[in-house]
Amino acid sequence: MAISHTLEEYLEAIWRLQEKATPVKTGELAQQLRVTPGAVTNTLSHLEKHKLIARTPYRGLKLTEKGRVRALSVIRKHRLAERLLTEVLHMDWSHVHDAACELEHAMTDEMIGPLEKTLKEPATCPHGNPIPDESGRIREEKSEPLSHFKPKDKAVLVKITDEKSDMLRYLASLGLMPGTIVEVQEKAPFDGPIIVKVMGASYALGRNVASLMQARRL
Amino acid sequence: MTIALAGNPNVGKSTLFNRLTGLQVVTANYPGKTVELNCGVLKHKGKTIGIIDLPGTYGLDPTSDDQWVARRAILEERPEVVVAVLDASNLQRNLYQTLQLVELELPVVIALNLIDHAETLGIRTDFQKLSKMLGAPVLPIVATKGQGIKELVEQLTSGATITSARGITAFDINLKQAIHRMEEAIKNDIEQKPFGLSPRALAVRLLENDSEFTRLLGQQEHGPRIIELSQEIGKSIESEYHEQASLVIARQRHELAKQLTEAAQILAGRTPVLSQKMMHYTVSPYTGIPLALSVIAGIFAFMLSAGGFLGDATTFLWTSFASPTIRFAVTTVVGTALLSKVLLWGFDAGIFGALSVGVPYVLTFYLILSLLEDSGYLSSVAYLADTVMHRVGLHGGAIIPMIMGFGCNVPAIMGTRVLTTRRERILACTLITLTPCSARTAVIMAAVGFFAGWQYAVAIFAIDLAIMGVVGWSLNRLIPGRTSGMVMEMFTFRLPKISAILKRTWFRFKSFMLLALPIIMIGSFALGALYETGYLQMLLAPVNPIMLALLGLPAIASICLILGVLRKELTLQLLIALAAMQYGPSASNLLLFMSPLQLFVFGLVVTLYFPCVATMTVLARELGRKNTLAIMMSTIALAMLTGAVAYRALPALGILR
Repeated sequence: MAISHTLEEYLEAIWRLQEKATPVKTGELAQQLRVTPGAVTNTLSHLEKHKLIARTPYRGLKLTEKGRVRALSVIRKHRLAERLLTEVLHMDWSHVHDAACELEHAMTDEMIGPLEKTLKEPATCPHGNPIPDESGRIREEKSEPLSHFKPKDKAVLVKITDEKSDMLRYLASLGLMPGTIVEVQEKAPFDGPIIVKVMGASYALGRNVASLMQARRL
Repeated sequence: MTIALAGNPNVGKSTLFNRLTGLQVVTANYPGKTVELNCGVLKHKGKTIGIIDLPGTYGLDPTSDDQWVARRAILEERPEVVVAVLDASNLQRNLYQTLQLVELELPVVIALNLIDHAETLGIRTDFQKLSKMLGAPVLPIVATKGQGIKELVEQLTSGATITSARGITAFDINLKQAIHRMEEAIKNDIEQKPFGLSPRALAVRLLENDSEFTRLLGQQEHGPRIIELSQEIGKSIESEYHEQASLVIARQRHELAKQLTEAAQILAGRTPVLSQKMMHYTVSPYTGIPLALSVIAGIFAFMLSAGGFLGDATTFLWTSFASPTIRFAVTTVVGTALLSKVLLWGFDAGIFGALSVGVPYVLTFYLILSLLEDSGYLSSVAYLADTVMHRVGLHGGAIIPMIMGFGCNVPAIMGTRVLTTRRERILACTLITLTPCSARTAVIMAAVGFFAGWQYAVAIFAIDLAIMGVVGWSLNRLIPGRTSGMVMEMFTFRLPKISAILKRTWFRFKSFMLLALPIIMIGSFALGALYETGYLQMLLAPVNPIMLALLGLPAIASICLILGVLRKELTLQLLIALAAMQYGPSASNLLLFMSPLQLFVFGLVVTLYFPCVATMTVLARELGRKNTLAIMMSTIALAMLTGAVAYRALPALGILR
């Protein structure tokens, strides 16, 4: 079954949001895709009809197993495309995301195997996110967004999923980078910010920043 | 001789700056950048030394305005010595920036501050060891108490040449090789090194993918080739370390900072229990929110009482001494003709206007702000406000300038510098121009509250706040981009130093007055000339019927609204003055010639339309003329629209007539 670019984009976006929290709310999805909530509804019905997502009224939606496999195949193409752009075409890694968004839809399944071989089967995309294998399995790292942790929890940062290099470097100058151990000190209710302690200093991180940081509980 | 002070935020850098310099402080600005540099002079044994206080930053990458300014100032001014002010209680993180300074091959002297605080935490530092390892002098100081300052000054003025610490490097063999390869290529290919940096310093910056140096080199012959090479080497670093080259470099700097800290410090590992408890209570909703509300209430109470007192005092002193003197001087020189009247608009009313905003509101506000900044409490408020502020596309850091807006929009707009993206600053500034400042509050209370009833005054505030919510919500959706995340250090609580606060308040007040005074005077001359010659009335003649039809306001109201751009409380004063001319002295009872409905509409329009000369000036400086004009026009339209709706809807609902 061939599905349209739009549907693929949607699956990919839902999968990304699911990494942070399930179920995914329609509003969040619309924001992620930069469209109006009204426009989302129509496409979601499509996805539901194809049994790619399951919706619960008033709670949100999540990918079905079929949808997950499909989404991971798109993610796989996206991340391989990013590798292609950085490795073969020598584009700057901080600029390849948008181009990869276009490429991923044009890549056929037949292209993927040889491409992966050519790129020497990379484990991650240039931003450090794991590339799913052909059966849709993703290397399991028992990490969760830093925003899920509670006060007094200690965790080690595994990766920072923000793809903007300025933010990454700013955080790095504070010592907030993969491998750093943080201790959650405070957490505000209603999706508010959290305070983490890193090397003797405390930082308040907005929830949107904290949810970009994947961390493993210690 | 020039010395620059560098360091992380809140390490006592400004305190040290104040210790070293006198009151002669000049602020410098890079065009288009919002962060200012304070420059002062240190006189010691006949020597005059210029001191630049760089903005407090965690690093020197051009990823934000403050870091860009800090780095650019060092590179352009080429100070003989950079004093790295470090917090002894958090040495490891502080050393990160120092290592960047060393990489730029700058002569560094380390002023290890807050050693008293570190000692209470059981942290002791072996200065000699640290100095030896870093290859730079290390001097312990306590800037707040003035300890070690003499020794520091001696060191800086001794004439002993301080060389950059070349011996130390953060990088492992692989990176060193990569840097060396780049270095050789740069040495051979690049004629003009940007800012005269050494090939090696440039090599590190390029491998870090530094946007500015990449751009600067790109403009040179062979530059693109070097950039290509650096990207190629960057790739190979990336495949070896499985992360971006810039992160590998940052990681190794942190690693060295850690090694240095572990070697030079004994850490007893005592946690600052009290400070942590205080932070906990100030940020936990049940205790933090009531506390924040009482602090805000306290600020308003202080601004109303102290500001009110200062306002009365200014008015009294001005009307009894300055004003008669100026009047006498002007009339003596140019007589009592038209010219003298126009001059008096500027010299008398204009200066008074600037002072009557500046002294009671701007001065008191800066005093409170400096106090809160130094206490460390501001970050708690920002943390608490983050969730709510996200609804209007801002983050917690924006709450402070927003609160300031209720006192006076001018310092509030200047305060939006804490926000990092342009989008956030436009959002915050727009909301601030809609915030009822103390002048507008005065009009609402006196014109509406007194004559139409307090519930209508409250209604105007409610309408205004609702409009601010709607405007913020919709702008957040209209302006492309998204809210940047908040990353903010939670500073430990400290007892503020009164002298430092007073000094900073004075600098800020002075820079506000220098900015606002000329503009208000020019505006006053211009409007005064138009008014005294009767042109303003002529120009307004066609507008008046529109105002009457649209808002139901009498002819004199529109002239008040126009002249109100000088100061918002002028609208009311003029309304009374002009009414007295037209209807006799009893017209100070506004109800004689305006209905409660008209007063309500008048109050509403005064609250919503933004133009106020002082605000316009700072806004244009912060956001540019185009944005200022756009904000101005939309608030005028908004005021007219809301006024027109209120004028029609309220009587229809049978509420006011």
